[in-house]
Amino acid sequence: MDDRVCVVGIGVVEGKAPMVDVSHKEMLFHATRQALDDAGLERKDIGSAITSSFDFLEGRSLSNQYTLDSIGGVMKPCDLRLGEDGIYCLFAGYMEVMSDPSQVVVVASVQKASERDPDGLAYQKLIADSMEPVFSRPVCKSVPNLLGLESVLAGMEARAFMDRTGLSEEDLAEIAVKNLNMDSGTKGSGPDKKTVLKSDMLSWPIRTMTKAKEADAACAIILASENRVKDLLNEPVFVSGIGWCSDKSHVAFREQGVSRETKWAARQAYKMAGIRRPDREIDLAEVSDWYAHRELLHCEALGLCGSDEIKGCVADKSFQKEGRLPVNVSGGLLGRGNAVGTSGLIRVAQVVRQIRGQANGVQVPGAGVGLAHSWGGIPTATAGVAVLSKW
Amino acid sequence: MPKRVAIVGVGMQKYEFRKEQTVEEMVFDVARNALENSHLSKDDIDSVVFGSAVDAFCGINNSDKVAIDASGGLLKPTMRNSTSGSTAISTPILGYTHVASGMHDLVMVLCYEKMSENDSAQAVFNTVYDEAYVRPIGLNVPIQCGLEARAYLHKYGITERQMAKVSVKNRGNALSNPYAQLPMKLTVEDVLASPYLSWPVKLLDTSPVTDGARALILASEDVARELTDDPIWIKGVGRGADSVWFMGRKNKDLGRLDYAYLAAEQAYDMAGIRNPMAEIDYAEVYDPFTYKEMQHCEAMGLCPEGGAGRMIDEGISLKDGPLPVNASGGLQGEGNPIGAGMSRLCWCYLQAKGQAGACQVPKDVNNAVANGWGGMYQYNAVMVIGRD
Repeated sequence: MDDRVCVVGIGVVEGKAPMVDVSHKEMLFHATRQALDDAGLERKDIGSAITSSFDFLEGRSLSNQYTLDSIGGVMKPCDLRLGEDGIYCLFAGYMEVMSDPSQVVVVASVQKASERDPDGLAYQKLIADSMEPVFSRPVCKSVPNLLGLESVLAGMEARAFMDRTGLSEEDLAEIAVKNLNMDSGTKGSGPDKKTVLKSDMLSWPIRTMTKAKEADAACAIILASENRVKDLLNEPVFVSGIGWCSDKSHVAFREQGVSRETKWAARQAYKMAGIRRPDREIDLAEVSDWYAHRELLHCEALGLCGSDEIKGCVADKSFQKEGRLPVNVSGGLLGRGNAVGTSGLIRVAQVVRQIRGQANGVQVPGAGVGLAHSWGGIPTATAGVAVLSKW
Repeated sequence: MPKRVAIVGVGMQKYEFRKEQTVEEMVFDVARNALENSHLSKDDIDSVVFGSAVDAFCGINNSDKVAIDASGGLLKPTMRNSTSGSTAISTPILGYTHVASGMHDLVMVLCYEKMSENDSAQAVFNTVYDEAYVRPIGLNVPIQCGLEARAYLHKYGITERQMAKVSVKNRGNALSNPYAQLPMKLTVEDVLASPYLSWPVKLLDTSPVTDGARALILASEDVARELTDDPIWIKGVGRGADSVWFMGRKNKDLGRLDYAYLAAEQAYDMAGIRNPMAEIDYAEVYDPFTYKEMQHCEAMGLCPEGGAGRMIDEGISLKDGPLPVNASGGLQGEGNPIGAGMSRLCWCYLQAKGQAGACQVPKDVNNAVANGWGGMYQYNAVMVIGRD
C-alpha cells in the first residue's frame, strides 16, 4: 500500500493575546511557511491549496479568497472552500490526494477573532444569523440584547446532558481545571476548581471559565501520498480514517444533550481506520471542549467511554494525561483559546505532534493512534473526526 | 488509482428573480428532481456537496446547514464549497474527488443561490474585496468587468458589436429553455442601444440577478453501470487561480486570462483531448458578461486566441453551428444565480444524453465542456464530460 495519505508538515500560529500586529493573511503566510519548513518543501512543490472560513465571522464575503496568495496557491490547481470548520480542509485535501496521488496539498485555515467587537455582541448576532430565518430566528428576540444567546443555547443542552448522565457542576469544573492547567503556559499555576466555580455565571451551568475564550490562530497542514514523501524530513503520520456529518440545524427539532453528528462522523472514521473498540485502540484524543460539558459529551459520542461511565471517568481521572485515555493534553480550546473554524485543524496538528513525539512537556508516551475531533459550535450541529496513526 | 466517475442524474427548476421559495424549498425541489431523474431514493445517496457563493445574499450564516434536511443529507457527510461564480464547476469537482478518491459511491452535488433577499446584490459584491485597500473605492462586478473588458477588447481588436451578437444569440437560445428567466428576441441594435453600466459593458451585455438551484448526482463506475447503459463520464477536471490582487497578476494583463488557460489545459490533458476545436461537440461557457463568453471560448481552445470575434461573426457558436455554445441561453438568457451556475454543466449532461428538449443541438454530443469563472475574478474551473 503506497497510496495512503500522510501529514508531512504542520504549522501553527496562535496566541492568547489578540495578534494586533499581523493581518489574517500574514498569519496564514507564517503558518504555511512553518509547515513547508517542517516538511522540507518549497512553495514550488505545492500542487493544490485548500482553505476554509466563515463569511460572517470574517466580515467579508467570499472570505477565503484573499488567503490564496498567503498559502502558495497562485497559478496552481486549487480548491477553495468556505463555510466549514478547518478540519473539513483535511477531508477535502485527503480526497484531493487520493484522486491524484502526485499532488502535494496545503490545507489551511485562519481566524482572527480579535477583529470583532470586544463585548461579544457581534458573535451573538452571528449565532442569530446562523439560525433558520422563518421558524428559529425569531426566538432570538426574546433574549435581551442577544448578549446571552450563545450561553442560553449551550446551557440548555448542558442541562439535558447533566440530567441524563448525573454529572454535577463540580464535574464540569474538574474538566475545565484539567484543560486550563494542561497548557504549558499556565502549568501548575492555573486556576483550581474553586476559582472555576466562582467565575461569573452566564447561563446555568455555563460559566465564564467553563466556556472557551475566543482566540486568534492560523494553521496549515501539508498532505501528500505515501510514495511521494519518502525523502522528506519527518516520519509521515498517516491519515487512516476520516468522517464528517451534520445533524439538523433547527435547534427546536434536535435532541438536546447528545451529539449525533459526532457519533455518525466517528462511525465513518472508525470503519475506515478499522477501529472496533475506540476506547482501547486510541492512545490519545483531542476533542472539542468549546464548553466543559462538550468534552465529555463528545467523548461519549466518540465511544471513548460508555454513557454510564462518564461520571466515573471524571472521578477516576481517566482523561487526564496520566489516565487511561488522555484527552486534550494540549489544553484544548479551554486551555489554548478557541479560534472558531481553525481550532479543528489545530487539533489535528496537536495529534500529529504527539504521534511524532514532538509534544514538548505534554508528550503522551508511546502515542501511536490519535483522534482529532472538531465541532462546529452552536446553533448548528456539525462535526468532523480524523484518526491519525504512526503506521 | 483514482476511480472513474459518471454523472447519473440531474435536478432542474425554473430560474426567477425573487423566487417564492426559501433556500430549503429550492434545495428540496432540485434534490427531489435529481433523485427522480436517476431513479434513486435519498437513502441511496452517500454524501452531499453543497455549493453556494455568498451567504450575505440570503442573509443566513452557513446557509447550507439550514438546507441539510431538505437535501436528504441529514446525518450524512455534507460539505460546502464556495468560490464565487466558479462554485458552478468547482463544486462538482469537489463532488468528483469524493467519488474518485473512493470515499463515496453516490454523491449529490447541490448548488443554490438566493440573490434577491438583499437590497442590492452589487452592494454585497463590494464586500468581497479587501477591506483595507480595495473595498473603499466602491468596486463591484460591472466596474471590475468594465476594466477587464476594455483591456480584452483593446488587446485583441474585438468590437462591441461582436459582444452584442453574443447577447442576441444567448437570449434568443433561452426562448426554447423552459427554466430560463430572461429569454428575449433581440437585435444587435437593441443591445448596442442599451445603456452603459461600465463602458464597454452595457445593460444587455450582462446577466440578471437570479434565484435558483441545480442538482447533479455523481456515481462511481460500478454503480453507474448498474444504473444506466449509457453513463456520461467526467473525463477531465481542471482548476486554476491567479493572484487575488488583480493589480498583482502574474502576467500584469487583465485582457488575457492565464489562469483560465491553465485550468483548460489540465482538464484536456486528463481527458486526452488534443484539439478541442475538433474534439469538443458542445460547450456551455460561463457568460455573466458577453465578453466573458468570448474570453472563455478562447481560453478553452474552442477558437484560436483572439478569434472569439470571428467565431460569433461566422456563426460557429450558434445552436446549429459546428460548435454550439450555450444553446440553453447561458447565464445571459437562463439567469445567473452565482453559485448555481452549475446549470452550465447540467445542460452539457442533458445535451449529451439527448434530453435537452427544445434546446437540443442538431448533432451528436459525445464530448462536452463547461466552465465556471469567479473567485476574486481570478479563478476558473473546467470540466469535460462525455462518452467513452
